[in-house]
Amino acid sequence: MALTPRLTPEETRGTDPVDTGPVELLACGRDAAEVWDHAAAGTLDEHERDCPHCGAAAADARGLEEMVGHLAGQSLVPPETVVDRVVGAVLAELRPRDLIPLDSPHGPAALDAAAAAAVLRGVVDAMAGMRARSCRITRPSAPGGAPGPAEVAMTVTARFGVDLASTTARVRQMVLAAGEQALGVPVARVDIEVVDVFVDGAGTDGPGGSS
Amino acid sequence: MSGADVPVTTFRVGDALVARVAAEAAAAVPGVVALRTDLAGTLLGLAGQVLGTRRAPVVSARVDGGQAEVSLSVVTRLGFNCRDLARAVQREVAAAVGAYTGLDTLVRVTVVDVLIDREPAARDDLSVR
Repeated sequence: MALTPRLTPEETRGTDPVDTGPVELLACGRDAAEVWDHAAAGTLDEHERDCPHCGAAAADARGLEEMVGHLAGQSLVPPETVVDRVVGAVLAELRPRDLIPLDSPHGPAALDAAAAAAVLRGVVDAMAGMRARSCRITRPSAPGGAPGPAEVAMTVTARFGVDLASTTARVRQMVLAAGEQALGVPVARVDIEVVDVFVDGAGTDGPGGSS
Repeated sequence: MSGADVPVTTFRVGDALVARVAAEAAAAVPGVVALRTDLAGTLLGLAGQVLGTRRAPVVSARVDGGQAEVSLSVVTRLGFNCRDLARAVQREVAAAVGAYTGLDTLVRVTVVDVLIDREPAARDDLSVR
């Protein structure tokens, strides 16, 4: 799964964790994409197993996998009542229809932008210590006329105490992975704004609770 | 077929037939939870149910000469890749309509909704937001 341009270990060593370079690193200096790959392959190294930041990123990877696999495994079609159908049609009629083009060799295909944004919000909501607020996804045309890679702008809130330096790296990685796995849309740019923190009564059940 | 007295037979495939074949083929693609239509189509479908006429209003189809154009809106669920699903629907529908009618078919697919199963934990947090 080669989702992001990688930094070699030499480059990583010289990079300040808070540097807003092309790839945001986790607070411990690791690349979230690499942690995801290791989690998928089951080859987490000693640091990645012990470090809370890497642990959170690895949990994200498993979370997306579980969520996607679980829902894909369901075969039941939700019962559709007459009311549901009419309300759905009325809502669909009222809603402004923004469409994202999907790449297909067989003809024109598109995805509703609101549905795509809901998917991305859903996967970020499933991350430990993170809630999505708003999400916008657009796919501007490349100079040649074909649709270029998508751009995602997102606002999130984080649980109080979660390391914010890692937050953007984790959300970014989640959005890139979900864009590819769930939507089939390559994502080139993710703008993340952490707008608030929240405190929940459940205590620190998630990783990254240190301050 | 040289006899001049053989009546000329023309054969034209109707829009509704293409729409029905396309709807059946699309609904059979794994990952398609439902086909959706606009308000007019929904009401027509309900009226058809009440009146007992079965039609396939969820797909709009137009036959023009040897070409057919089919537009359909599908609903899927999280876990199926939207791009792959759209391609599969296009492939299956074009193949089914082509096999049944011999028409060259352009299939226009829009994924209008992706169903997400919100877990109870996420639902609880709605009050926080």
